[in-house]
Amino acid sequence: MSRHDDDVMNDDEFADVRTALGLAVPPVAPSPGMKSAVMSAIATTPQVAPLGAVTPLDESPAAAVAASPTTSAEARAQARWFSRPATLVMAAAAAVALFFGGVLAADLVSPSAPSAADQLASIVAAPDVSTLVSPVAGGGTSTLVSSETAGLSAMVFEGLQPLSDDERYALWYITDGVPTPAGLFAVTGDGAVVQVLEGTFQAGTIVGVTVEPASGSPAPTSDPIVAIATA
Amino acid sequence: MLVLVPPEIDVDETAPAADATVETTNALLLRVAQGDQRAFSELYDVIAPRMLGLVRHVLKDHAQSEEVVQEVLLEVWQTAPRFDPNKGKAVTWMLTMAHRRAIDRVRSAQSSRDRDTRIGIRDLDREFDSVAESVEIRVEHDRVEKALSRLSELQRQAVELAYYGGYSHSEVAEMLNIPMGTVKTRLRDGMMRLRAELGVAS
Repeated sequence: MSRHDDDVMNDDEFADVRTALGLAVPPVAPSPGMKSAVMSAIATTPQVAPLGAVTPLDESPAAAVAASPTTSAEARAQARWFSRPATLVMAAAAAVALFFGGVLAADLVSPSAPSAADQLASIVAAPDVSTLVSPVAGGGTSTLVSSETAGLSAMVFEGLQPLSDDERYALWYITDGVPTPAGLFAVTGDGAVVQVLEGTFQAGTIVGVTVEPASGSPAPTSDPIVAIATA
Repeated sequence: MLVLVPPEIDVDETAPAADATVETTNALLLRVAQGDQRAFSELYDVIAPRMLGLVRHVLKDHAQSEEVVQEVLLEVWQTAPRFDPNKGKAVTWMLTMAHRRAIDRVRSAQSSRDRDTRIGIRDLDREFDSVAESVEIRVEHDRVEKALSRLSELQRQAVELAYYGGYSHSEVAEMLNIPMGTVKTRLRDGMMRLRAELGVAS
């Protein structure tokens, strides 16, 4: 896919040669703080399921607990995650570029929202469409599909946990530490949702998802269950 | 200066000196795939300096390079369960990610980039002079340097610009003032020659 496709250097047949070239470069010691930053990032970052693994949606009580909103004290303590330095947010961001195939099943898009489907189609058709996959804290996966030329992005969720009636999932565009609400939504059934974000997508922004009161919030009041940094 | 290896050392064709790295990282990554954070800590110690060396060689800027390596390491953690040891080596999987990210970064910031064409193994040598390294790493470096020296000058330039410089085929064509098709041919021939010289399986 993408720009690497026609690249002789990228041929699988030369993978081991590239590795040898890579290992021929002298190692460089990372700065002292880097390891603790990475270790704390992985401690809070879920891993993807192995390929072919079946993930039951209501698998464990633990997952449901993890997905529930934090207490207000914790929420206050963590409230400003979105204004942390970009590198930290990126470390927490769980942004993984994976091959974009089969994620966007047309039947995930509600037929009552044709405009969303149209917008989604324009994102997917854009020449600069980009996809980033991230696990959802508490269970499920999310895929950000975005295009800067279209100025639009959409989040595709699978296996998202249902919330109580007075809560909603909230989408955010976070640019330079400033969060802008990009829509609220609820989950029913199997937790599969496609949501086009309100507002204009810009490359370099962070797309976040939090759990908020059903009435919405002007800024995130809890830790993100997803934070995807775009480039 | 570091002269640890007799110059005429006979490198076994099928046993690259990086074997230890290959086996260590394979074993560690499989444990990481099970969510083992201690294994990740050990993996970090082995692979982070290698990733940073490669990424910084491409990007030049140390702070940016650390940022890229942190992103890649997080991606390694997240996607380790999808790593298939039957399809390749862990070290290849991880360095490929790091190299791609470095190239993506350097290409996206190209306008501000110092377009130094003298990239390559001579730079590697300079970097080595200032760093004391393990015998294993030095042997691996010398082996690759020797293999590169057996390429034609044009093949070597094309490979070094494309791999270490992160230049696209069209940029390499422009810099060497040769047609795109010729660049591809030289790269392919160069890589095949290297593969043969290094005795690595495809």
